[in-house]
Formats: sequence, C-alpha cells, structure tokens
Amino acid sequence: MSKESRMRATVNQKLTEMGERERLKELLRAKLTECGWKDQMKAHCKEVIKEKGLEHVTVEDLVLEITPKGRALVPDSVKKELLHRIRAFLAQHAT
Amino acid sequence: MSPAGCSHVNGYKVDNWKQNLRVIYQCFVWSGTAETRRRKAKSCICHMCGAHLNRLHSCLYCVFFGCFTKKHIHEHAKNKRHNLAIDLLYGGIYCFVCQDYIYDKDMEQIAKEEQRKAWKLQGRAFCFLTENLIQLLKQGHLLSQCRHICVPFVSTGIGEKYTTWEPTKRELELLRHNPKRRKITTNCTIGLRGLINLGNTCFMNCIVQALTHTPLLRDFFLSDRHKCEMQSNSCLVCEMSQLFQEFYSGHRSPHIPFRLLHLVWTHARHLAGYEQQDAHEFLIAALDVLHRHCKGDTINDNGKKANNPNHCNCIIDQIFTGGLQSDVTCQVCHGVSTTIDPFWDISLDLPGSSTPFWPLSPGGDGSTVNGESHLSGSTTLTDCLRRFTRPEHLGSSAKIKCGGCHSYQESTKQLTMKKLPIVACFHLKRFEHSAKLRRKITTYVSFPLELDMTPFMASSKESRMNGQYQQTVDVLNNDNKYSLFAVVNHQGTLESGHYTSFIRQHKDQWFKCDDAIITKASIKDVLDSEGYLLFYHKQFLEYE
Repeated sequence: MSKESRMRATVNQKLTEMGERERLKELLRAKLTECGWKDQMKAHCKEVIKEKGLEHVTVEDLVLEITPKGRALVPDSVKKELLHRIRAFLAQHAT
Repeated sequence: MSPAGCSHVNGYKVDNWKQNLRVIYQCFVWSGTAETRRRKAKSCICHMCGAHLNRLHSCLYCVFFGCFTKKHIHEHAKNKRHNLAIDLLYGGIYCFVCQDYIYDKDMEQIAKEEQRKAWKLQGRAFCFLTENLIQLLKQGHLLSQCRHICVPFVSTGIGEKYTTWEPTKRELELLRHNPKRRKITTNCTIGLRGLINLGNTCFMNCIVQALTHTPLLRDFFLSDRHKCEMQSNSCLVCEMSQLFQEFYSGHRSPHIPFRLLHLVWTHARHLAGYEQQDAHEFLIAALDVLHRHCKGDTINDNGKKANNPNHCNCIIDQIFTGGLQSDVTCQVCHGVSTTIDPFWDISLDLPGSSTPFWPLSPGGDGSTVNGESHLSGSTTLTDCLRRFTRPEHLGSSAKIKCGGCHSYQESTKQLTMKKLPIVACFHLKRFEHSAKLRRKITTYVSFPLELDMTPFMASSKESRMNGQYQQTVDVLNNDNKYSLFAVVNHQGTLESGHYTSFIRQHKDQWFKCDDAIITKASIKDVLDSEGYLLFYHKQFLEYE
C-alpha cells in the first residue's frame, strides 16, 4: 500500500472510531438536501430508469450513470465545509 | 426488483441466520457502541487490497470483506460460490446470481431494527458521559478541566433519524373506510371558522383565532403530537386539539366554544364570569395553562413546581418563549449585572400615557429598515421598541446594590432581546389603570408587515458598545426577520368595547374575524387598524 493510502486508512480509522464519520455523513446528507443536490440526483435517476425500463434497470446501472454527475454537482461550499470539519477534528485529535 | 426478494436467499435462511445477520449489521454496518466502532475501524478493509473505500461489501457466508468497485467481492463470490453479500455503507443485500440488490422482507425488517437500535445507542452514549461530567463537577474539578475532558465525548448529536411513514394495518383500515380526501389549494379557506359569542367572549374568540392560525401550533396539533397524561377530562391541551379538529374539519358554520370557555373558567378563575375581559390577560392565562397541561401533572416527581419555563421544552415554550436580557450598569464602577428572564410577550408603552414617551424623529437609525409609514409624525412599532430597549436612568431614589462597589449606587437599566421566540407577541398598552385615571389610549401606532428585530437584540447592543456604530443591514442574516400573521383590535371604550381580529391565511390573504362573521380583508385594512396585540412569526426557522 502506498504512503497516501496508508494515511487515508489511518484517518478513516480515527474518524470511524470516534463516531465522527457518522456525524460527517449526516452533516453531508443535510447539506446536500438543503442545496437541492439530492433532488437533482433523484430527477436524474428517474430519467435513467425511464430510459432503461423499470423491469430491467439494476442498481449498478444507476450507480454508473449518476456517479460522475453527482460528483461534479457537489457545491464547493459543501466540500469546503466538510474539509474544514475534518481538519479541525484531526487537529484536535492529533497523536 | 420484486419486494418478495429472490429465491437465492433461501439457501441462506437456515439455522440461526437471523442472529448472524443482526451481528453483521451491529458490528460492521451500523456500529452503535464505541467498541463496535473500534472493531469496524480496524477490520473493515478489503481482504484483497486493503482499501476501505470502493463500496466495501461483506460476504454473508464467511468472514470476507471485498471492494465492490474493484470486483474483489465478485471474485470471492465466484470462487467460493457464496452468492450473497452486504453493502457496508447502506446495508443493502446483493445477490450475485440475480446480479442486483434484492429486497427480502425479513432481511429488511432486521435491517430497520438494527439501524434504529444503533441510532438510539448513539444518543445514549451522550447521556452516560454527561453523568461522568456531573460526577467530576461534584468533586469540585474546575470547569475548564471538564471542558477539556468532554470534548472527545461529545454526543454524535444526530438526533432521531427520519424514516418514511409506513402505515400500520389499523391505519390502512381507517384510510379505506374514510375515502374522502381534502385538497389544499392556494385559495382554499380551510382552517377558517367563525366563533359564536357566548356573552362578551369576543376577547377569547380573538385569541383562539390567532392561536389556530399559528403555523407551528397548527402542525403540532394536526399531527396528534399531544400525549395526554391527565386523568380528568379537564386538559386544556386536549381541548385545543379538539378545537383544531373543528377548525380544519371543513365545516363552515360557526363553532360554539362552550367547552373551551368552561375549561378556561376552571383553570383561570380570575377570568370567569360574563364580563368583558382583557384579551391580553386571556392570552397569557391560556398560554400558562397550556404550558402546565403539556407536561401532564403540574407537580413533577421532585415535588417541585414544574413551572420554570427555562427547564421546559413543551410546544408552548418552543414557540412562544423568548429571553429578555436586563443589564443594570453601575454609574460609578460601570460594572454590569445581567439577568435573563423568559417572556411570552412584550408590553410596550404608548405616547399619551402618563409615563413619558420620547417619540424619535423619523429617519433615525433603524426606522427605514422596517419600511413603516410615518404619516404626519405618527408613532411606529419600531419607535415603541426603541423606547423599550433604551437605557433608563433609575434615579437616586432607586439605588441598586452594586457587586463591584459593595454599596448602593445609582445605575442605568437597559432591556434587550437575548433570545427571540418563534412567535413574538407585542402588546400595546392601551388600557391605562393608574391611580388617577382609567382610560384607553387610542393613539395610532403604525406597524409593519415585515419586522427586523436585529436592532433590539442583545448582540446588536454589544457590537454598538464595541464601537461598531454603523449597523450594516445584513441582508443575508435572516435570523431576526418576522412576518405579521395576526392582529387583535379593540373598539370602543374601557367600559364597553368589542374585540375583533385580523388573521393571515396564505401569504397575502387576510381575513377579519368578528366572532361568527368572517370577511375578506385587505392588507390596508389590517395596517390601518389601531392594533392592540400584534403577532409576528419568524420568517426562517433553523434546525435545532
């Protein structure tokens, strides 16, 4: 494993252990709902389902179709805020 | 994908499968306790590449974690013929034969229960640790030390998770038996209903109209949130609940509130009798009784009177209680002694009363913020509020004991808003009951449709004192913006008069409620009226 991925794993471990990961997930969920991202994604999902047909569409289809759009549409302010929270948390719990 | 699931799960549903599945949910998907979180942090990595991202899945048949995106779990499934895996992020069950996520009713039920359990546990962890904190404080540890310790133990603070409503069997039955549905359009007048006057009860009728049109209160009662703990039939909150049912039933005939009147007489003896009472007094008495009844018994288990609004979280307090800050400044040492008192309404003195009023000239700071009309120098609500929050010299006959000087000194007192309630009620003191005279002050006070309370906040006063004199109107700060939604008016004299009210139905639709008669009103009618009780609602509500 590269140094970067090892660091990622350590950070993730710390976040999970202290329950911060859950909190961040909920914060993200709230922020993305507030800014309308969730509704945009929902609408896109509906389009994909219409295209592929309700009987044949799989979760995989949806994931592949909406992931790139989803990643692109996250507002910068949300990214900033999450990053800030993570940094603050790590600063507090630096070993 | 059919909700019956796929047939491939049948191979899994043997022996102690339910318990095994629960363990997987508790340990690796929704870890509620610190211990399971630690285990999850350590062990939830892909057995093939060590990554923790990439949609990690766990095999249901053996202990194997693999990435979904990199197909590591797919390889495992193929090699070992283990056809089921669980998504560690969302708890979904994947079937490799069907090549899609499946929805098995039994498994879904287990998933829901485990998720709820984990949420509850996260909340409890906080309670346990505050107990610790209390112990520390009792042992006399310094507060700063405690703060240091409590930081890593702050609760997950997520609260109750939102789940979509799924009707129970009984609810489905009720829905089928009652097929009539009510559609709310922008012009519908549901919620509007007249009230019969039972003998000078217009004071009560107006307050009822205002309360039934308070959005948060309406939502509370229409979603059946009151759980009655009173044994007798005299719970006022239950009666309010009934009242809302009557108002929103769609009946257009006026309602006869005799039960409400009887309950009010029972619980607020000073309002009993058929004389005309003061609508403001009724409002306060009603809020008080509702607040008491919201907690079931009036005496809590400590034997203490559970009357302190500071420690209550009932719906009345959530909506109506604000905090009024009183700062007493010693004129000698300039030390400030601050107290914060709860309030349900703000009583404002008017010009023309025996207490001197200092009308402030139009164009002064803040008067343009609320866009009130200054017809020929008339007083505005903002003027009254400015007077309410001005520093007042207490005079040499009312010296206060100063903690800094340790002696009685002259001081100034100033009131500001520490915490604003969601619904702010302004009471214009039109009825003068001084020793010399009893009269009604009919001075016209103009009030706005939209009100910004920022200049009257304790925080604004602090920044003014720190030298930031120019209060830049922060258009983005929506915390202190209020909208008018109800006005109670009194016509006539102190001896004989009549109460009517204006209430707002939709954004710009106003109606006049004169006991049993409801008529459409224009915004001009509302703003030109004298005004006795003004009800304002916060424009933007924040999350807790």
